[in-house]
Amino acid sequence: MKIGKTEKFVHHAILSFMAILFILPLLWMLVASVDTSAIQSLKIPEALTLDNYKSVLEDPSIIRSFVVGLFLSGGQSIIVVFISVLAAYPLSRYKANYKKPFLYTILFLTSLPMTAVIVPVFQLFLLLNFVDSLWAVMLFLSGTSLPYAIWMMKNFMDSVPVELEESAWIDGASVWQGIQKVVSPLMVPGIFTVLIFTYTGSWGNFFVPYILIQSPDKMPASVTIFQFFGNYGLVNYGQLAAFSVLYSAPIVLLYYLSQRYMSKGFSFGGASKG
Amino acid sequence: MTKRSIFAAILFSSVLILGACGAESEEGQSSDSNGSGGDKIPIEITWRGTGESDNIRRYLEGFEADFESDNPDIDVVLAPIMASEGDYFSKVALTMQSSETAPDIVSEDTFMLSSDANAGYLASLDEYVESWDDWDMFIENIKTGTTGEDGSVYGIPTTTDSRGIWYNKQVFADAGLPEDWQPESWEDVYAAGEAIKNSDSEAVPFSMNVAKANGEAVSMQTFEMLLYGTGETLYDSETQKWNVNGQGLVDSLEFVDEIMNQREIGPSLSIALNSSYGSVMTQDLLPNGGVGMVLDGNWNIGNYLEGGAAPLDNVDEILGFATFPTQNGEEPGFVTMAGGWSWAIPENAQNQEASWRVIEAMSSKESQADRAVVEGTLTVRKDSAEDSRYLERPLIEPATKALENAHFRPKNDLYPNVSIEIQNAVEAVASGSMTPEEAATSYKEAVTGIVGEENTY
Amino acid sequence: MENRNSMTDTSKRKKLSDNVKSSIFLSPAWILLLVFFLTPMVLTIIFSFTNLALTGAQAQNLRFIGFDNFIKMFNDVNLYNSIAKTLIFVLFSAILGQCFLGFLIAFLMKGKNATFRRIIGIAVIAAWVTPEVVVAFSWVAFLGDSGTLNSIITSISDIEAIAFLFEYPMVSVVVANIWRGTAFSMMAFQTALDDIPVEVEEAAIMDGATRWKIVWNITIPMVKGTITTNLMLVTLQTLGVFTLIYTMTGGGPGNDTMTLPVYMYQQAFVSYQLGYGTAISLIILTIGAIFSILYMKFLKVKV
Repeated sequence: MKIGKTEKFVHHAILSFMAILFILPLLWMLVASVDTSAIQSLKIPEALTLDNYKSVLEDPSIIRSFVVGLFLSGGQSIIVVFISVLAAYPLSRYKANYKKPFLYTILFLTSLPMTAVIVPVFQLFLLLNFVDSLWAVMLFLSGTSLPYAIWMMKNFMDSVPVELEESAWIDGASVWQGIQKVVSPLMVPGIFTVLIFTYTGSWGNFFVPYILIQSPDKMPASVTIFQFFGNYGLVNYGQLAAFSVLYSAPIVLLYYLSQRYMSKGFSFGGASKG
Repeated sequence: MTKRSIFAAILFSSVLILGACGAESEEGQSSDSNGSGGDKIPIEITWRGTGESDNIRRYLEGFEADFESDNPDIDVVLAPIMASEGDYFSKVALTMQSSETAPDIVSEDTFMLSSDANAGYLASLDEYVESWDDWDMFIENIKTGTTGEDGSVYGIPTTTDSRGIWYNKQVFADAGLPEDWQPESWEDVYAAGEAIKNSDSEAVPFSMNVAKANGEAVSMQTFEMLLYGTGETLYDSETQKWNVNGQGLVDSLEFVDEIMNQREIGPSLSIALNSSYGSVMTQDLLPNGGVGMVLDGNWNIGNYLEGGAAPLDNVDEILGFATFPTQNGEEPGFVTMAGGWSWAIPENAQNQEASWRVIEAMSSKESQADRAVVEGTLTVRKDSAEDSRYLERPLIEPATKALENAHFRPKNDLYPNVSIEIQNAVEAVASGSMTPEEAATSYKEAVTGIVGEENTY
Repeated sequence: MENRNSMTDTSKRKKLSDNVKSSIFLSPAWILLLVFFLTPMVLTIIFSFTNLALTGAQAQNLRFIGFDNFIKMFNDVNLYNSIAKTLIFVLFSAILGQCFLGFLIAFLMKGKNATFRRIIGIAVIAAWVTPEVVVAFSWVAFLGDSGTLNSIITSISDIEAIAFLFEYPMVSVVVANIWRGTAFSMMAFQTALDDIPVEVEEAAIMDGATRWKIVWNITIPMVKGTITTNLMLVTLQTLGVFTLIYTMTGGGPGNDTMTLPVYMYQQAFVSYQLGYGTAISLIILTIGAIFSILYMKFLKVKV
């Protein structure tokens, strides 16, 4: 669409202004983390230092919490991707009359903020003797993110033409081989989208592990950062900033690696065309 | 798949696998360290950790070293819970639900003790204290604080405390106030605050705990210090009814309103409502002249001694500690709330005999004195109070003197719930979202809802 | 005849085996949903009728108390306050904030230079990938008395520093949540807008339609499906926001930002009333359910 020069300039100006607004709060974090005398406000560092990072990285309990966090969120993401691919397949491929109500139910479940029902979940964990088990927390987190993942995955799978699969079957491939060899590679964007979605959601979730995990040495990074800085104040700004940067790094990395698929992945598939 | 996506997939999965292995081996390690040395019994001690400058940790580390060399069969494991004061109690209650997660020894604020005992979370210590000679050395009325409603002992007291006004002598000098200051009524406190406000000093004139985030500190260090100075109490222990109509409730909230809103001699809300209020105020502003007066506990002395968070060379020259006056100077002139912490054994703890041995050692004359000295609290053992290190501690005299008129919090297992309502009322007034009258009315409604109309007066 | 019979047979057999296969494929999902989704939901309903408590004599003495929690709710002014705060938070931060801003950015970015789009995109998405706790810390610092925003304000005017988190707490958490979530809507709209064939809009221009008319009559109707789906997802994600608000304001000052999830936490874990907290959870679930039924019914979200 052609637009006038002034209008184009205005568009660029508005967008640039917004980008600055979006980046300002984060910029402070980056700058303060290498500043020897970080304060609450964004400022040019007097001298650069890596001491803030060093002091965070030298704390074994922080490193441990990062590892636990990677284990929890990573494990959850893999479980969710695997199960949602499996579940999406029949929903996308087979004609069945239960499909529509099932999908509506899934969409409906997506809407329920499961973190809000933490009390019954804790009771359930007590009952099943799951308290303090990282595996159980991982499965619970998987369960809560599953409806959304299935729904997204089904939309992606709809966009993979069934003909390709059929030709594989003619060549003698089983359904399972068809999924593995034909569908999955074409699903890479969808898989990445679900992966990053799930990972982002749980990496930043401090509430669920905070209640369900009791041993201090099993707490993931989300809890440690909250405990270090949420309770005892944003006093040591340099260290807080360094911790925040390190803590954000895995997601940024994951996003960077998968972003080329993301924009394609963001179509709400069948939904947007309905 | 393109090369890049394969690379991405490999990198990501290797991060995961590494993570998983790491977490596994970490888990393995921690259970190893628990069981290290073959048949050592691990005894996990849980208290409320306060991060970098943790006086209790300093004390416990010293204790651990001594104890383990005398008792090779026990491995003391320090397992603090890092949480705000309010969150600590719920977190402790959650851990005590299951034998998988219950610590072996838990630090309990005396006001939570009867609640947690009633909930069945704590083991009775009766059989241990019966055959324990040292039990007689504990101050009698403090012992009642760790006795449950059923008459059993559920905790061994470790410390007590008093409250008063900390003041910075330099700020006082700048405002023309005396170095040796003792207010005799709330009016005197306002006057000193106004003097600081009108002086050249940039310091916050007067500060106290008002934020819900600071939990029990708001109820005890602020509201109850005021209320018990009006001659009223929170709870009548004889009739077992709660005070919901007293003028003292409104007057106490009015004090908060006067300081924060009417006279504007309190801190800005950004400081007052921050969950880090306590450490900012006592470890930074007070010793550095950023605030004139702080209504807080005597234990803050622990911050200013050697090894504390903000050590000062000559504490008594920089800071003073005045007892808190009654409303209009009524007898006996000053008042304090006294609380304290105790060690308890969860019902779900695995090795209660061993836990008791650790508690017994922590409660010895020597160890009690160590803790009081490191932490800045007051000891609960008569003989520990004669320790020279304890007697020579700066400002020990006014802190101990305050205890002469000490009140204790209601011995009722609904107190923790009522305390939350006090915090709501104080924050609402301090932040200006309710007038003292409105907050008192809403307090009345809430407390009536908790304890039942028949239990109020 | 025979031929037809065998046809139905195979198709029957195929259908049967499809059903078997579906259940095999769906069974892990079912198990997980059953244990960790449906069970807690059922427990929520059950526990909301009990006096479940975290401490005190009640903790030992779990019993059904009928509708007491709901009667208490009915008289609880703080609950009404929390419902109102939740609706305000959702309306302004999700519906008006994230959806509108996301659409605006995506719309303005359409047809711009690829590098420019990339830079703007990174700035917006950086906020989205930042973990929630860090978002909260960044905003607490940004809005602090001596934070970046106040430094800017005091350096360009003589207005005194503003304690945003205490004087405008709701605005603060709403803005922070918009900041955090806009990228999601932006990406969704970008995909949808890029799918609109250029010819459609060009044809409209040839017909002499004004810009606003084109946006209103052509662009928006063509991405209607994305708008409704996005609206629904964003609304429901926002309803459950806890960490951001809890870390930034703790629900305060007073009860000014006490949305339902924060109030639930307060009642359950700070006031030790687990049963009452669970009843509040049930209210949150109900509001979520109402929202999603409304969206599905009236905005015709398709599956």
